Amino acid sequence: MPAPAPAPAPIVVLDRVTKRFAGHTAVDGLALAVQPGVIFGLLGPNGAGKTTSIRMIMDIIEPDEGTVRLFGECGGGRTQTARIGYLPEERGLYRKMRVLDVLVFLAEMKGVERRVARAKGLAWLERLGLADWRLRRIDELSKGMQQKVQFIATLLHEPELVILDEPFAGLDPVNAQVLKDTVLELRRRGVTLLFSTHIMEQAEKLCDQLCIIARGRKVVDGALGDIKRTHGGQHLIIGFDGSSGAAAQVFADTRLVKKADDYGQYAELELAPGADPQQILQALVASGARLAKFELEEPSLNKIFIDLVGPDAARAEARPDA
Amino acid sequence: MRKVWAVVRREFVERIRSRWFWISAVLGPVFFGAIIIIPLRLAASGGAKRIVVVDGTNTGFGARVADTLMRGRTFWIVARTPPRAGLLDSLTSEVGANRLHGFLIVSDTTVEGGAAEYRASNISSFRDIDELRGVLGRLAVNARLERAGVDPRTVSRAQISVNLATKKISGFKTTGESSAQSFWLAYVMSIVLFVVIAVYGVNVMSSVLEEKTTRIVEVLVSSLKPFQLMLGKVVGVGAVSIFQFVIWGVGGRLVLTQRAALLGNLGPEDAATQQVALQLPHVAATTVAVFLAYFLGGFFLYSAMFAAVGAMSSNEQEARQAQQPVMFLLMIAYLSVFALANDPGSGYAVALSLIPFTAPIAMPVRWAAGSVGPNELVASLVLLVLGIVVVTWVAARIYRVGILMTGKRPSLGEIVRWVRAG
Repeated sequence: MPAPAPAPAPIVVLDRVTKRFAGHTAVDGLALAVQPGVIFGLLGPNGAGKTTSIRMIMDIIEPDEGTVRLFGECGGGRTQTARIGYLPEERGLYRKMRVLDVLVFLAEMKGVERRVARAKGLAWLERLGLADWRLRRIDELSKGMQQKVQFIATLLHEPELVILDEPFAGLDPVNAQVLKDTVLELRRRGVTLLFSTHIMEQAEKLCDQLCIIARGRKVVDGALGDIKRTHGGQHLIIGFDGSSGAAAQVFADTRLVKKADDYGQYAELELAPGADPQQILQALVASGARLAKFELEEPSLNKIFIDLVGPDAARAEARPDA
Repeated sequence: MRKVWAVVRREFVERIRSRWFWISAVLGPVFFGAIIIIPLRLAASGGAKRIVVVDGTNTGFGARVADTLMRGRTFWIVARTPPRAGLLDSLTSEVGANRLHGFLIVSDTTVEGGAAEYRASNISSFRDIDELRGVLGRLAVNARLERAGVDPRTVSRAQISVNLATKKISGFKTTGESSAQSFWLAYVMSIVLFVVIAVYGVNVMSSVLEEKTTRIVEVLVSSLKPFQLMLGKVVGVGAVSIFQFVIWGVGGRLVLTQRAALLGNLGPEDAATQQVALQLPHVAATTVAVFLAYFLGGFFLYSAMFAAVGAMSSNEQEARQAQQPVMFLLMIAYLSVFALANDPGSGYAVALSLIPFTAPIAMPVRWAAGSVGPNELVASLVLLVLGIVVVTWVAARIYRVGILMTGKRPSLGEIVRWVRAG
């Protein structure tokens, strides 16, 4: 990998931001920076403080401590609203309004001129196959169509920064695909994307950069590859062919194996520091196990995440407004 | 500012487009008309009351009473019979069986001592009782005078009653308004003010609630300040209510100019009744101005409160509960309308018309019912504007925090914290 070029000024900077609600601290001294043109994942279990962080970025709530800087300027999202597209976590639209009217109104909120908003709205509806529905009321649309209208509303004013809170939650598979394609298309055009999710598999596939938070605190951040290298350790995937022999004894050897997830016919091992996979292979063969698969692998983000925050935090219950 | 304007336009256009707006625009006057006319019609109609006169007089007094009552339209004399044993019981059972409305018992002591008796299934109609009392009293006086040797023509000349005309003096000028007209005007104004402020206030509340429950509000407040959003909403809904008044005003004009034609379509018998109901009071331009000023003031004051109620609720049920104190506040002046109209100068009336929460209804009622000095009007308006500023300030703070809150309804303590937190 080539040495990184001198980093351009970040688009989003949170500087030791803290937000407390009655009784608990939702976000605790969180610091992060999002570079332009990347897809940035804000990851964490439910209740980790993702939505609160995003709301502070969007200027919907003010931090108790710390500052938010967008596009190099102090102050939150409201002053820069025309440059930001925002899709909140729980999404809804005016149910009684006509599709095109909703799009025009929401674009006006972003400072787009009515006439321009109309033209762009129509173009988007055309593109996503909703042109015939433009004069229908929102509550006549299927849920999937409403989701498409919400994407359009988020992107209509051609923002430079797009913030999506749990964007894949509740999407049907077709729209999930549409959204994923749209996200990648936006990155190709140089748009910066910040999205939050508690589903690590999505983040793993999409993000260039990420920040994992739990209980309002940052656990780790950086480029996906770096995080995997630093925190992953070495992982072994082992598949047995009928008989696992005395593999359990091998897995229990703490000189070789730090941690094992044994599923009977399948096991995931994390190697002890300095352990050689070849030793394990020999030991397994010696134990009489018949191997169908023996693979050295990078750990999944999910596993890194659970290792870092612990299974309890990973399952933390959602708290109101966290 | 352009964004606030967009919010105003959305609220206005979406409402004007809805079927309900036009239904209420058309049905509103019908509804208000019904509230005003139906009690009158009920009092006047229902046909003449079928009664029997139990005549225990020897002087022909009973016959005269029966004839006079018959000439009026309120009673229909089924029979006039002398008293006999068991008569009262059988008449009572007739009344019980609904074949008879009631019976009137007169005797010589009616003339001598002024005692008569009316038994009927309904004795709460002031109109009926007034008519009976009037007829009996007049005839008893006539009978006594004639017995004392006074010429019946002198008596009938003496009976010409005084017709007291009442004219309201307003701003050093005598207006054409009579006291009855003033009262009706005050009454109608209070109904319209109450209903329209309540209806459009609740409109603001549901609009806030819709944005909150759909979370559109998050997108909106990341684009404009919560206060701007609330302002746009209140102004937009307010504009709809003004538009509604314009429609009613134009419609009312049409009805007024076509009044004769409308009346002509009714039966001649009903025309007299209708005339009473449709005899619209002369409404001065200043009265209209006062009405509109207080309507706008009241609307802004109450819709700010309704917006806060919508923001602190998570669903319709919660909102319905939380709006009750606001409704109650609005009702105080409305329920006091009779006291206000009867004695517009009383301390109670003055207090209600100065307190910003009751002034929007109390002041126009006092204005219509009697004369209010310019100083008082100015004081009331200044207090109302101050009230709007303070209430909006508090409401905006509740709104700002409330629209993002979900889950359980905030306690009063929490709301106070929201208001105090900068």
